[in-house]
Parts: sequence; structure tokens; C-alpha cells
Amino acid sequence: MAKDRLAEVLERYEAVIGLEIHTELTSLRSKMFCGCPVAFGGEPNTRVCPVCLGMPGALPVPNEAAVEATVLAGLALECEIARFSQFHRKNYFYPDMPKNYQISQYDLPFCKNGHLDVEVGEGASAYVTRVGITRIHLEEDTGKMIHVGGAEGRIAGADYSLVDFNRAGTPLIELVTEPDIRTPEEARRFAQTLRTVFLALGISDCSMEEGSMRVDANVSIRPRGATEFGTKAEVKNMNSFKALHDALAYEIVRQADLLDSGGRVVQETRHWDAAAKRTSGLRSKEEAHDYRYFPEPDMVPFEFTDEWIASVKAKLPELPAARRERYAAELGLPKQDARLIADDVALSRFFEQAVSVAGADRAKPVANWVLGELSAHLNATGLAVEECGILPEMLAELVVLIEDGTISGKQGKDVFAEMAQTGERPGAVVERRGMRQVSDTDAIEAVARRVLDAHPDEVASYRGGKSGLIGWFVGQVMREMRGQANPAVVNDVLRALLDQQDR
Amino acid sequence: MMSGRTIADMTAVEVRDAIERKEVSAREVAEAALARVEELDAHVHAFNQVCPDLALQAAARIDAMVAAGEALPPLAGVPAGIKDNMNLVGTRTTCSSRILQDYESVYTCTAVQRLLDAGALPVGKCNLDEFAFGSSTENSAFGPTRNPWDLERVPGGSSGGSAAAVAARMVAVSLGSDTGGSIRQPGALTGTVAVKPTYGRVSRYGLVAFASSLDQIGPFARTVEDAALVLQAIAGKDPLDATSVDEPVDDYRAALDAGVEGLRVGLVTDMLDIEGCAAEVREAVEGAARTLAALGAEVGEVALPMSRHGLSAYYIIGPAEASSNLARFDGIRYGHRVKDAEDVLDLYMRSRAEGFGPESIRRIMLGTYALSAGYYEAYYGQAQKTRTLIIREFAEAFERFDVLLTPTSPTVAFKLGEKASDPLAMYLSDVYTIPLNLAGLPGISVPVGLCPSTGLPIGAQIAARHFDEAAMFRAAAALERALALDMVPPLVRK
Ligand SMILES: [Zn+2]
Repeated sequence: MAKDRLAEVLERYEAVIGLEIHTELTSLRSKMFCGCPVAFGGEPNTRVCPVCLGMPGALPVPNEAAVEATVLAGLALECEIARFSQFHRKNYFYPDMPKNYQISQYDLPFCKNGHLDVEVGEGASAYVTRVGITRIHLEEDTGKMIHVGGAEGRIAGADYSLVDFNRAGTPLIELVTEPDIRTPEEARRFAQTLRTVFLALGISDCSMEEGSMRVDANVSIRPRGATEFGTKAEVKNMNSFKALHDALAYEIVRQADLLDSGGRVVQETRHWDAAAKRTSGLRSKEEAHDYRYFPEPDMVPFEFTDEWIASVKAKLPELPAARRERYAAELGLPKQDARLIADDVALSRFFEQAVSVAGADRAKPVANWVLGELSAHLNATGLAVEECGILPEMLAELVVLIEDGTISGKQGKDVFAEMAQTGERPGAVVERRGMRQVSDTDAIEAVARRVLDAHPDEVASYRGGKSGLIGWFVGQVMREMRGQANPAVVNDVLRALLDQQDR
Repeated sequence: MMSGRTIADMTAVEVRDAIERKEVSAREVAEAALARVEELDAHVHAFNQVCPDLALQAAARIDAMVAAGEALPPLAGVPAGIKDNMNLVGTRTTCSSRILQDYESVYTCTAVQRLLDAGALPVGKCNLDEFAFGSSTENSAFGPTRNPWDLERVPGGSSGGSAAAVAARMVAVSLGSDTGGSIRQPGALTGTVAVKPTYGRVSRYGLVAFASSLDQIGPFARTVEDAALVLQAIAGKDPLDATSVDEPVDDYRAALDAGVEGLRVGLVTDMLDIEGCAAEVREAVEGAARTLAALGAEVGEVALPMSRHGLSAYYIIGPAEASSNLARFDGIRYGHRVKDAEDVLDLYMRSRAEGFGPESIRRIMLGTYALSAGYYEAYYGQAQKTRTLIIREFAEAFERFDVLLTPTSPTVAFKLGEKASDPLAMYLSDVYTIPLNLAGLPGISVPVGLCPSTGLPIGAQIAARHFDEAAMFRAAAALERALALDMVPPLVRK
């Protein structure tokens, strides 16, 4: 029902959506301003030091790798990179923030004015939308709180609260988009596409479940054709791409219902409850913050030279969009296949190695096997492609065996299963099981003649016009040859014999 | 002992040499210092905490080196005081505040560690105005420090404990911190040599921050040479302080004998004209200028009209940064926490209200206001512009002069309570010292005379270019030698 309601609402109203995405730089060795390791979970308060605990007198020293990772992200998203930039202090009190200020960026972010092109939809209705990126800045993450007792799992009303500072000080990049997004699906596709970019850059594991990628959305609606923005609500707590989509869909319908019934939207922060499938307002006074930003005096400002920015740019890997293009243009993959492989860094690495062995002319069947049997295998076992035991060379060998007619496609599936189970090379499996396919025309012709001689009635029917019987003949020959004949050759030989004698 | 003086009267250089020559042991030096503390500190209250164990352990290490015939570090066996806003494992770091009354240091401040690595003996943690907010050490939660020259008078502040401990010969040297004059002004008021290095010269790691862009750690000593030795030991880049600068550290001791021949000294005349500058102070500083001229320096006059506005800029920038730096004292992870808080907001508000003294609260309020939306540009933004103009003005002055000469403080030591109820009059104590903090420049306060009417010490401030502490030591050493003042306070003379 929600989908229909959304479609109906979006006929009358236009949604205006902007995203604010926080991504932890989980691939870095150390925290933003100290030497503590970056990791998820662990015994509480075991990855801490005087700096990330905000002990008296401790000072922050910026992690240069985090600065570089932020600039790399900016370059990947076509941002302008600041020549002069600095950190600011964002002042507010909360127990998960050791210093009661967050070292963040304010009017001089490292990156601004970028964009990301997002493919939305499938097939004929697919389109590309460009989403502007207002800014990307670097900051430190907070600790985590556990509120014990009380109804809402929030600090208000809790019996007591515990703080774990393991996460405090983890490098965090905040990306803010322009309000260019118009549907929940576009929002989901933006977040997914951004994730593929960050994964390609290798700066984060981008796990929405573990909170290393957190998406908040600002959403408002306005009647179709209107140019002024409506009042927006900020929606938080979406910890999957589906949740992002569903929360926005709910919120758009909620706002439309409000306006339709003569009410008005209140500017507020709303919490997505995935279980209840609805958003609810936070009835707190947290709204009117004055963060009293001022330049962080414990650090000197950053002055990036053109040379330094160029040196970071040189480290940019091929991004998914470019890879998609290349797969389609150079390897002739269908668009959909190209995207499915290119968006996944590990899968595309596997694919390219397999193609380099099998040959570019076999890229399409390699892609079919990667997206078919291999992906199914990975899904079934839950293994990552690097650890699944099937090497790119093995898959390439299998594809070559099929393509050169040594085994049939059907046999290929058996070989794949065997190879996935044992790690044995496909060639060895084929040899051991005697699967080598017979493509020798003389041998096949001998069997075919025998089959035709044994079935004069069927031959007569075929020659009388029942050409569909060809399949039945192929089946008979294959059975005689215990499945090891090359079906294409069998087909050709049978047709030749049947048609020849017809003349 | 040598020439009838006690061990406690010895300078750092004399202590180290005597230990090296085995005339005294480091243990005897530590015991003499501890005995002097025992004898005088009930009157002076220079220390919040004395740490005899740490001092004696450090002394034992030095004595072991002597016994083993090893080369001694530059401050071997020198008893030292440490301002109680610097962390030292094995001591509390209280900042003279109730909110950190029981706070045990969990790591050691870089500058303190370097001092100890140079062989100094940590005698104790010195009293200060709470969180270094003040110019008299009256704002300590644990009671004021008194000036060894006159126990009814303040030693200046905020590093009053560090200054008084050196003046009263309880230690040979000490560390203070200077945000707007907190080393130099008490140096002047207690007749000691006091140094605020260039911003970035000494690591701030482990110094509980007051105003991060202004704070700098520096030494107190009874001679320019001792002060130079301590700065030599603590100066240099620290990877734990991103604002410390990787600039070579000059050989300060070598500068002491260079003389002032040809040194271009600028006497800052308009600063002498400031209302509130005592006539005796003015005369003593002008006398110092004449002495330098007689020694061969090229003395000229210079005006620094922008610096006059330093005080206003400072009382925006200092509290603004302080209001943020002090936010971490919230009762959550450490420090004073009310027992019966109803919720987190109540815990914050009452822990802080109970933990902070009135001056801390005043500065937090001032700073919070100055940074608030709608006021930021008018206050903080304007103050930063003033700061830029002051930096420019100094840069121009230093094109003509190598060092600049001003009073350190407009008056000699004032009486306890005299300015306590008038914060603005108290703030004026730092009118000469603040501009150097705003510009990040180094300055030294060196005794240039005793006030004819009160007999109290008067200090002159010598400022130099960024990282040119050598020039200021050069001028200070020449003055010290030429004036040959007897700076023993009456309390010690008795
Ligand atoms: Zn840490």
C-alpha cells in the first residue's frame, strides 16, 4: 500500500531531499587526533588514551592520512579542494563527547562543490540524475552511550548511563548534498553509489549496520510546480539502505497527509523506527543549539599546495562509473552486467583477472559466470570472493573449456560445483571424470547414422516436415554418447545427414 | 658550604657544579630544598603539594651517576618547582581548583619530563590562580601565595607559587605558564628572572590549557643563566603538540657572554606613559635603558600604539578559548561530581558551579558570551583583527630594533585583597605582557631595581623576535651583570 500511496502523493507533490552522510574512515590505522587504533566493538574503553578521553592537558595532533583520505574523497566526487582550511571547535555538552566540544570543520571545509551522477531505475525507465555535493569535511566521532532503564533507550529517563569511548576520536567525514534528490529511490541509489565510490577508494568499510556509514536526510515537499521550499524535517536513525528508502517514503506521505488535511509541517528532527515503520518527533529541547564555533587553536591551519593536491589525485583508483563505461565499451558487457560487477571492487578485480587469462573476447561468458554461478556460490556460503577458494584463473580455465567445446555448458556447472567444493582445477576435474566432450565429426557421424538407421519412422516424419524432431534426434545421439558429445556438432551432423538424404 | 651560603641559596649552575665536583650529593640538595620548604612554606604557601619521594628518587639517580662516574645532565640535582597545572605522574594536578582537587596525573607533561630528563629534582607542585586566571595567586581554591618580599603582598600571578618558591630559595628553578603575563609579572613582583618563550618554542602537551593560542610554559630562576639553561632543556618540537615548532634551538648559554655592543634596543615610550605606571617603575626601566646604552647598545625610542588595545583583545580571546577548554571539567570522567544529581544536566551544572571558583566562572561566562551566535564577529572576530594589527606593529618595530624594552608590570607587588574586588584593575597588571602573548613573541622579565619607597623589586621586560630568545637573554644577562642587584628577599635574609 505504501508504494501506491507514495506514487499517488508524488504525482501531486514534489519531494525535496538532501542527505547528510557520516562515514568513519575505518581503513585508517589510528584515530583522528591520537595514536589509538580504529576498530569496531571490543571491550569498552580499551582503545583510549589521554587525548581521546579529553584528559586535562592532552592535545590533538591531526592524522595526516585522514586528511588525505578526505581530500581523496573530494577529488573522487569532483569537489574543489580548499587551498586554506582549518578545524573548528563545535561546542556543546554531551557525555559521549570527552572534551564537550567536537573538533570539526565549519566555514572552511577541505572539499566543496562536487557532484555524483546516480543511475536510478532499471531498463527502459532508467535515468541518470546528478546530485550536487555541497561539502565534505573531516571531524572526530563521539563515544557511544548505553542508557540503562527508562522507556526510550534515551538519556532522559534512564536509571543510569554508561559511556564507551572506544569510538571517540575515530576519523569521520561528513558529506552534505544539495537538495537535489526527488524520490526515496534516488536517495537510496545515491547512498549506494556513494558507498561504491568510498569502497573503491578504500577509505571505509561503509557498514550501515555497524554504523560506519550513517545517513541522515532532510526532506520537505511542495506542490508540483511550486518553486519555494516547504518546511523540512530531518530524519535520522536509518541503518540500512532499505530503511533510508522506507523512512523517506513514510515521511513524504506523512507530510502530504498533514498538508492535505490543512495542517503544516513542523521543522524538527524525526527518528525512524524500523520495527514500527514510522518516524516520530524527538520531543527534546536539543533543537536550538548555538555551537559557538571558533577556529581550533590547538592546531595550525592547513595550506594545501597544488603539488600536494596533484599527488593525492594521482592516487585516485579507477572509480565504479569509469569502470562501468570501460566494461560496456571495451568488453561489450550489457549495461546491467557492467554495473553489477563494476560497483563491487572485489568482484571487478576478480573479473578482470579472469578476463586477462581467458581473453577479452571471452569477457561476456566470464561475466555471466561471475554474476551467475560465482555470485550464487558467494551468496550461499556467505564468503567474500577473495576467500571463496575459486581463483580468477580457475574460472577463466572453466570458461575456456566451455567456449572451445571441450565440455558443454551443462557440464560446466558440474565442474564449477566440484571446483567450488574441492578447489581442484577445472581441467583436472574434466580429465578425472572423463568429461572431455567429443567434437570429432567422424565419431559423431558414425553414431548419428546408427540412430537414423534405427528410427526410420522418425526420419520419415522429419523429412515430411516435422523439423522439430531434430531435438529428439540430438537427444538420442547424446544418450548414445553418454552426454560427452558436443551438442552443437551433433546438431550440425544430424541436420547434414537428414537434409542430404532428402535431396 | 661555599662562601657561607646554604645549599638552598645556590643557583642551578652552582648546584650542578658542586654535585659534579662531589662537594655535595644530590640527596643533600633535595633534603636542603625540602627543609627550606618545611621552614618557609607555612608562611608563603608556594606549594599545593610537596613530593619528597619523587625528589629523593630523582636525587638517588643523580648520585648513582656521580658514583658511576657518568657525565651529568645539565640540570643534575637542581631542585625544581612545577606549576600545578602541569601533569606529573605521582602527583595531583589540581590547577588550584576544587574541581580537580583530587585529580591524580595519568601522564607527564612534555616540558616537565624534559626538565626531569635534564636531571632536575621535582620538589612539588606550585600554587596558582585557579586555572591560571589571575594576576595575584589570590584566586587559588587553596588559599593565596604570599610574596617572600612582604608577606602582606601578593607574588603576582598566575604563576605566583612558582615565582615565590624560587624567590624564597625553596627551589633553584621552577616552571610556570604564561598566557597574558603569568610568568613575567610574578617574576617582576618577586625579583626573579622569568621567561615566556616564543609561542611554539616549548610543548604545551600536559599543560592544562587556559587559552591554547596564547599559553606557553617557561622558567623562573634567580639568574639569567639558570633561566637560559632551563629553557634550553625544555625547548624544541614535540610530536604531541601540533603547535610546537620544529625550529632549531639556539645555544642560549653562549648568548649570555655576547654583550650588547651594537644590539639595537627599542625603549617603548608610549607604554611608559600609560596611566597607572608607577613613577618608580618608569624610572627603573629608563635606568635600565641608560645602562644598556652605556654598555654599547644602540638605544632608540619606539611607540606601539596598537599594543594598548591588547588588553581588550586578550579579554575576549583568552576567555573564549578558556570557556571551551574548561568544558571538559564536567564531572563525568574525572574531577568533582555532585553525589545526588537528578539528571545529566543537573550533574553538569551543579558539579561545575561547586567546582569552579568565581573568577573561573566569570571567564567562562565572558568567553561563552563572546563566542555566541550574533556576537562572534563583534567580539571574537574584532579581537582577532586587533591581534593581527598588533603582530604587524611588532614586526615593524623589529625591523628597527633587535629587542624591545618595557616595564613588566605597571606597579610593584600590591597588597593582598587590594585589587581582589576590582577585576578591571587586576586585569591592568598585564598591560605590558599581554601584547607579546597576542603576537606569540618571547619576553623575559629581569630585575632592574628595588622601589625606593617600598623596597620591592621592579622588573623590566625585554622582548625579542620570534625564536630569538638568544637576543633577549643577551640583553638580560648584560643588565644583570651591570646592575649586580642584591635580590635576596627579607624573609630569606632573616
Ligand atoms: Zn586515543
